[in-house]
Order: sequence, then C-alpha cells, then structure tokens
Amino acid sequence: MDKRRYFLRKVANAVLTLIIVASFNFVLFRMIPGDPARLLLPREKQSPAAVKTMRHYFHLDAPKWKQFAYYYWYDLVRGRFGVSFYYKRDVSSVIAARVWPTVVLAGTGTVIATIVGLFLGVFAGWRRNSAFDVVSTNFGMIMYAMPAFWFGLLCIMLFATKLQWFPSGGMSEPGTVLHGMTAFGSFLKHLALPVFTFSIAYIGEYQLIMRSSLTGVMNDDFVLTARAKGLSDNAVLWKHTVPNAMLPTITLVMMNLGFIMSGAILTESVFNWPGLGLLSYTSMEKIDYPVMQAVFMLGSAFVILFNLLADLMLYYVDPRVKA
Amino acid sequence: MSPRGPGVPRRFRNWVFFWTPATWLVLDLVTYPKDRPIASGFGHIIGGFIAPTVANYPAWAMLFVALALAVSGVVGLVRNAKKRRFNGALVALAAVFAAWGVVAADPAHFALTNRHGGLGWLFQTLCLLVAGVCAWFWASAGPERAELMVWNTHQIWKLYRGNWQGTAGLWIIGIFMSIALLAPFLADHSKLLITEGVGPNNRPPAGSYYRWMGTDDAGQSVLTEFIWSARISLVVGLMATFISTVVGALIGIVAGYYGRWLADVLMRLTDAFLVIPWLPLAMVMARLWGTNYWLIIMIIGFTSWPGTARVVRADALRVSELQFIERAKAIGSSQWHVMKKHVLPNVWPLIFANTILVVAVAILSETTLSFLGLGDPTNFSWGTMLNKAWQSGATADWWWIIPPGIAIVLVVVAFTFVGTAFDEVLDPKLRKREEHDADRPLTVEGEGLDQPLDGIVTAPGSPLRPILGGGGSSSGNKSDDPGGPQ
Repeated sequence: MDKRRYFLRKVANAVLTLIIVASFNFVLFRMIPGDPARLLLPREKQSPAAVKTMRHYFHLDAPKWKQFAYYYWYDLVRGRFGVSFYYKRDVSSVIAARVWPTVVLAGTGTVIATIVGLFLGVFAGWRRNSAFDVVSTNFGMIMYAMPAFWFGLLCIMLFATKLQWFPSGGMSEPGTVLHGMTAFGSFLKHLALPVFTFSIAYIGEYQLIMRSSLTGVMNDDFVLTARAKGLSDNAVLWKHTVPNAMLPTITLVMMNLGFIMSGAILTESVFNWPGLGLLSYTSMEKIDYPVMQAVFMLGSAFVILFNLLADLMLYYVDPRVKA
Repeated sequence: MSPRGPGVPRRFRNWVFFWTPATWLVLDLVTYPKDRPIASGFGHIIGGFIAPTVANYPAWAMLFVALALAVSGVVGLVRNAKKRRFNGALVALAAVFAAWGVVAADPAHFALTNRHGGLGWLFQTLCLLVAGVCAWFWASAGPERAELMVWNTHQIWKLYRGNWQGTAGLWIIGIFMSIALLAPFLADHSKLLITEGVGPNNRPPAGSYYRWMGTDDAGQSVLTEFIWSARISLVVGLMATFISTVVGALIGIVAGYYGRWLADVLMRLTDAFLVIPWLPLAMVMARLWGTNYWLIIMIIGFTSWPGTARVVRADALRVSELQFIERAKAIGSSQWHVMKKHVLPNVWPLIFANTILVVAVAILSETTLSFLGLGDPTNFSWGTMLNKAWQSGATADWWWIIPPGIAIVLVVVAFTFVGTAFDEVLDPKLRKREEHDADRPLTVEGEGLDQPLDGIVTAPGSPLRPILGGGGSSSGNKSDDPGGPQ
C-alpha cells in the first residue's frame, strides 16, 4: 500500500477513535447523579446564588449541545480541564506534577520487563519442552495471573516489614531533606519495590507472547534454509528467527505502553507512589470529577497514540504491511 | 452414525449428570445468600449435611434429585444389562440423596415458605424441573443431534485428557467450585457479621476450626471469609463472562457475516472500546453508580467484550466464505437464519475456548476492583479481603494476605489452562503444530480422529462435527475442504 495513504488512514482512524472516546467521556460524566455544581461547593456555602454562579462558570446552564462544544473547545483543544475539587488547583497543573514519577516507574519497569521477558521467552521457545521451558512457561503463566497489587503486598510484607531492606512506600523519606548522591540513593531505594512489582506483572505476558511467536516462526522455511547454509545455532536463532518473532512482542509492548497509566494504578496505590496512577485512585476516592475526567481522557489518548505509533512502526518493521 | 436403540435412558443420564448440577450451581450461586445457615463450632462439616436448619438445599430438592437418580439407575438396569455396576451405583447414590432429604426434612422445609420466608428453594426446584423437561424434549426431538453432541463431546474429551494442564485446571476449578457450592456446609455465614469475632485481633492460625487461618483486624475468622469469598469471585467472573461473550459474539458475528456499513460501525465501536482503559472507566462507573455486585458484573461484562468481538469477527469472515453459506443464501434463507444456524455453530468452538479465557480475566478484574475498594460492601470476595488487609495496614499478617492471593492465582491459572487446552483441542492448526515439533504426537486413544467425517464441512482436521444445523445443510461439499481428513 502506498505509504502516504497508509499513514493518512491510520491517523484518520486514530483521530476518529479519539473523537468517539472523547464524546463517550462527555456523556459518561454528564450521567453523574446529582448536580456537579453542588458537589463543587462546600455544604455550608450552597446558597442558590453561589450554585447559580458555579453552574454558569462551568457552562452547566447552557444547553447540552453548547456544553458539548465548550467541552471540546476548552477541555480538549486547549487542555483546560477545570479546577480540581480536592487540590483546588488547575487540573492541568495537578497532572503535570504527577507525570514524571509515573514515567520513571513505568519506563524502568517496562524496559526491565521487556528485556527479561524477551530472553526468557526466546530460550524457552528455542528449547521447547526442555526442563527450562516447562518451568519458565508455567512460572510465566503464574506471573501473568498474579494480581499486581497482591504481589506488591507480598513484597512489602517480606522486604519492607520483615527484612526492612526497602521502605514500604512513597518516593522519599517524609520530613528529611537530602542532597546529592544520598538523595538519589534514597530515591532508588524507594523505587526498587514498585519497579520490581511493575515489571513482574509484565514479564510473564511478554515471555509467553515471545515464546509462542518464536515457536510459530521456528518452523518456517527460511529457518530451515539458514540451517542448511550451515549457520551456527546461535546465528540461526538471533539473526534469523528472533527478528522475525519480535513483531507481536513489539506490538504488545507498544500497546501496553499505552495502557501504562491504568497499569500503574495498582502498583502506585499499593506503594503510595505519587504518579498518575495514584492520582486516578485518589481522585476516585475523593470523587474529584474534573481530575477523574482528565485522567480518563488522558489515559484513552495515550492508548490511541501508542496504537497509532505501533501501526506506523509496523510499516517499517513488517514488510507485509506494504504489500 | 447409526442410532443406537431408542436411546432415552442414555440421554436421561446426560440430563441428570449435566443439567441438574449445572442448573443447580447457577441457581445456587445467583440466589445467594438465600438461607443463612446456622451451624455452630465443631463438627459442622458433617453436621451441615444432616442438620435441617443448615441444609441450604431444601429437602424437596434432595428428594427430587434422589428420584431422578433412582429412575435413571433403574431404567438403566432394566434396559442395559452391561452397565450393571454403573447403574447400581446410581441407585446407591439415589439412596444417599433420599436419606439426606429425609433426614433434612423439617416440616418448615416442606412448607411453601421456609424459616426465612424466602421462596428461593421453590424457584430452584421448579427451574430444575423445567431444565430437565427442556433437555428431555430437546433430546427426544432430534435423536441424531443428541447422538452427535455426545459423540463430539466424547471426541473432545479424548483429546482433552491428553493435556495435563487442562486436566489440572479442571481439577482446580472443580475444587474451588466445590468450596463455593458447599460454603454453607463449610463455614457459618453468620460468622461474617462484624460482631461475630472468633478470637483476638490479628492472630495467626490456631487450633480451633474457625481460626485455622487466623483472625483479621476485627477478630473475625479469615477462613470463613475465604470460603464465602469463593462464591462472589466465581459468580461475578462467570456472569460477567456471560455478558461479555454474548455481546462480543453477537457483534463479532454480525460484523463478520453481515458486513457492509454495519461492520464498519461495529468495528469502529469495538476499536473505541478496545482503547478505553478499562480500569479507570470501571473505577469511574463504580464510583458514580455505587457498588453492588450486579453493577460490577455489568461493568466487567460491558468493558471486556471487544477482544471476543474481534476474534469472532475474524472467524465469522472465514466461515462466511464457505460454500454451504452460499447455498443457504441461494435457497432463500434469511440473514438472521444463516447467522443463527450456520455461522454460529461453526464459530462456536472458538467462542467457547475464548469464553473460558475471558473468565480468567473477569475474575482478575473483579479482584482488582474489589481491592481498590469498589467491591460490594455487603459481600466478601478475595479482592475485598485483600483490600481490608491493605487498608488496615496489616502488612505482616501473612495468614490474611497469602491465601486469597493464592486462590486468585490458582483459579486464574486454572481457567487459562483449561481455555488454552480447549483452544488446542478445538483448533486443529495449533494441535498440528504441537504434533509436528513435539516429536511425540498427541496420543489419541481409541477410534475417532482418523475416521473420515462424511459430508460434513468443518475446519480442516477439526475433531468437531458441527453440532447444530451446519452439518445437515452442507452435505456434498466435501470438496471445499482442502486439508480436511478424507
């Protein structure tokens, strides 16, 4: 397929999906029982005048189609999601402060999970039905089935409460100000358990996918050709088989990167890691509608973006797409 | 396939062994908690079976089951001299059930309303009756179909047995199902009340039965919570899967077979649902509309269907290319008829295997939501238990944290194993690959697989004959089936 057409189609699809999701988001939050304007105000200040001002401020007195337009214009296009009920600040600034902890946690976790998962999957798939394969595959199944929060609780139980090697949560020691290397060391210590939990949650998945795609590719003709040429086992594996088997795994990693925020919710709430995941949890607990709405929209946008990236990347990686 | 005699007793047995427990299970789980059993302390496991007030299942149901078993056993003994031992066992089992029913027979249970004023048991018994009658009519209306179904099941079962993971998964599921089903006999429901402590707070396991798994932060029995949690976790998982499968299969089949503009709309919708991060969505919905476990079932069901829809659509596209579909259209079948009678039966194996995999996901989702505090506050599930342990800061109470987690992992792994095993059994491509490179072929005992499947189009090499109409309408199309066993 023509490159420009392919790209255009994918981008158009992504934009269309984004619009659908955004509209869904609008509808979802308009289905809230009760009056959001009242929720915004403390109970003692709910005079009719104040409620009216509030309703006007949030365009709640406008007809629905106008609200819809305002929503698209202010919230989505200009990125202004209103004021957080709980933090009493602009939602955008609340979110901005939470981005990088999640990026650090999920980024490190994803890198570790991808590398470990890929290697485990490759070795298991290459020596099928060996002891290593049986053990690691079943282990991968268990990791895949394990709820991340439970594993996090186990980690806290063992490493924080019992052995006291690592702190049980947060991103820094409360009440102390550290500088330089000590601060960094403390940060790493706080990071260790969340990253461990986060990556364990994904290792199983990547490993299983890698193994199954490798076993699928292994029987293809070109592997036989490579063998017939007299290449060493290692060369056949790493130069011919693995690159071909990488595709599904790469796609999966990209998809999961999109879901990073919802993936981080559990890890971050268990370890009290102040990222976007914890933000969505606390905003849910405090019924902080503007933040919930923004977080939900952001999460969906992430997924759409990474799906698009995966599709675009596939164009370069997978020759079949061009055909 | 030659019809083997009138065959009624055999189908009757199918009914007893499949429909009765299945209906019973579903109804029992759905009508939970209908009877609060009163069992006290020691010996209630045995006592539970005989004490009338504990018998969650009223005497009527017991006697009914006994009657069914007895009839089927006696009919079997009269008609089929060969399976004497088997039918004898049935009669013996009937005697056990009858005894149970009689012992549990409390005048209160024979009255139309029981002690708690609920009519749940009457409803349950009636439904059993209806299910039985339906199964009976179904079986006698089309003996060939019933035979075919039995034959199919048998083929699949033979293949399935060879898969140790699938077998292990079935065992695990069986064990947890039994725990869920027998919960009233295993632990007293009233011990879940916050006032019913069994010891001091946060104590490790101790000798007495209710303290086998220690106590939680309110001094309640963790064992009781664990046992009753199995119900919610399983029932939410199964019901959510039901919704998800129905929605997903419907959308997938319509998009795949009917196509046209509707397919575009449906697939765009599917894509949109696929990118919505389900956890934040579920959190928002649970928060907005309050938490009870029907809502959680709905939320999980309506957020987890896109995967099914995609898979089913792909398969429906394949099926709608087959020639018997064209033939059905040529003789003027309606779209709906073709979808129902030809596409669905051929896509069914895929839906089935996928469903089991969805159960695993649904159970995990329920646990996650409950852990985040969005579970039904009036009921216990494994996620709720973990949430309580987490919220109370009991990070050292291993007896409280480890068991629910292990249960979740076991159940999820078991469903994944079973789903994968069915996938392999039902999808010939996967099976062939296994045979091809695992130097030893999958052993298939007895006859069956290598038999030519006369005049029936299925996926090449599939052990399945189409269970419903697809088979009948497709005779004479053997040649469409390039890789098929011929």
